[in-house]
Amino acid sequence: MDIKVLKRLEKLNQLQLTEEQETAFLEFWAKQAKEADAMSEIDTENVERMVHVMPIMTVVREDKVIKNFTRDELQQSAPETNDGYWQVPRLVE
Amino acid sequence: MYLVKKDVTAKKAVVLDDMILTKDMPTTAGSKMLEGYMSLFDATVVEKLGVAGFEVAGKANVGEFAIDVMGETSHFGATKDEKGNLSLASAEIVKGGDVKAAIQLDVNGSPRRAAAVNGLVFVKPTYGTVSRFGIVPVACSGECVGVMAKTAEDCEAVLDAISGYDAKDGTSLPEDMIEEAEAIKKVAVVTAFDGSIDADVKADIEAFVKELEAKGVEVVKVDGTGLLAAKTAWNILMSAELCNNVSKYDGVKYGYRSANYTTIDELYTNSRTESFGDLLKTAILFGSETLSDENYMKMYDKSMRVRRVTVDYFDSLFEDVDAVLMPATSKKAYTEDDVKGMAYEENIYTAPASITGLPAVVAKGVQLVGSVFSEKALLELVK
Repeated sequence: MDIKVLKRLEKLNQLQLTEEQETAFLEFWAKQAKEADAMSEIDTENVERMVHVMPIMTVVREDKVIKNFTRDELQQSAPETNDGYWQVPRLVE
Repeated sequence: MYLVKKDVTAKKAVVLDDMILTKDMPTTAGSKMLEGYMSLFDATVVEKLGVAGFEVAGKANVGEFAIDVMGETSHFGATKDEKGNLSLASAEIVKGGDVKAAIQLDVNGSPRRAAAVNGLVFVKPTYGTVSRFGIVPVACSGECVGVMAKTAEDCEAVLDAISGYDAKDGTSLPEDMIEEAEAIKKVAVVTAFDGSIDADVKADIEAFVKELEAKGVEVVKVDGTGLLAAKTAWNILMSAELCNNVSKYDGVKYGYRSANYTTIDELYTNSRTESFGDLLKTAILFGSETLSDENYMKMYDKSMRVRRVTVDYFDSLFEDVDAVLMPATSKKAYTEDDVKGMAYEENIYTAPASITGLPAVVAKGVQLVGSVFSEKALLELVK
């Protein structure tokens, strides 16, 4: 990984690292990539992916209305609201 | 230690790690991002504790999103023991005797490490036996709610109270799937970690082996090299899942919002950049890149296959023995300097049980990992 890829990653993840953090991350990545290379030596050709550790599939609940929270309740931890809406900067000119 | 402390006098008091949602106390996950965050509901484990007559004495400080070595990344500061070594807040509160037990989220092994260095007992139950509804999600495919206490008996009593099927958790196991394992009669000691652990940890393992033998348990040795890749695979899966789980923290709906923005992108970026710590940023970026086109097959997909290889390896061991004995830590005490850059290294001892969902019990400085639903049998062994 080079700094260009890292900058793209930062943008994708809405983060901005300092130069020092970027250097540290590139070192971290190099180490993890090396470990992944070592892991690739394990023969998994005939091994299926294991998404869940238990034999359960994604459970879908019954399609019926259950208790909902009020708008006031949902906005109680909001950083900024305005007349019942979440306040953000203007998105369009 | 306590982020919030209540006045409780009940003998059945417990403390909750601050990864567990409570509607009457803030839940922060040890992060500036969630400082002051109030949930609208209680986690299922909190409701179950109430039904069983337990009182919640407060919330305990945790490392940011519980992925560090032992709480060192908390926005609210690391917790130290009486000697100045790192500890987990829950462990210190349990040691202090305020509470019967602590309810903790084991994402990357920190409660197991804290139990090992503090001489406490921690049980990480089989994945799916304790509801994760109302837990701050981090690495959903492996994280488990567990119990820390001074004794195995107290761990068992509290585990009984919080276990059970929960329709609100899609990964909760129906009761008819659960079949308790039989008593443990034969244990394999893993030697693959011998080269990376201190003499003190080795001494704990040797002492525990003698204790087992005195109880009539047969002890054999196994190299256990089939467990070594679990760390790399868990680091990848944990980070990829974390990356997705924390993507919702954007400074809009709840949580920290930067004061420094003019556009929506600046609001998102500055809120996340100013509130997340170094380790969390590293985990997010790492997890994100393991899911990229270039790395998906080599890292993320491969890790899911290595998860099955690890499960199969444990199964092959359990054909001959009932449990595996291994270290939980490389040393008996950590300073803050010791753990720098170690969150993705020191979990080599805890990742095998994390990635497979198998139950693990830490006691007397050692870790026992058993087959599915063997947590009570493991606890019995350390009484």
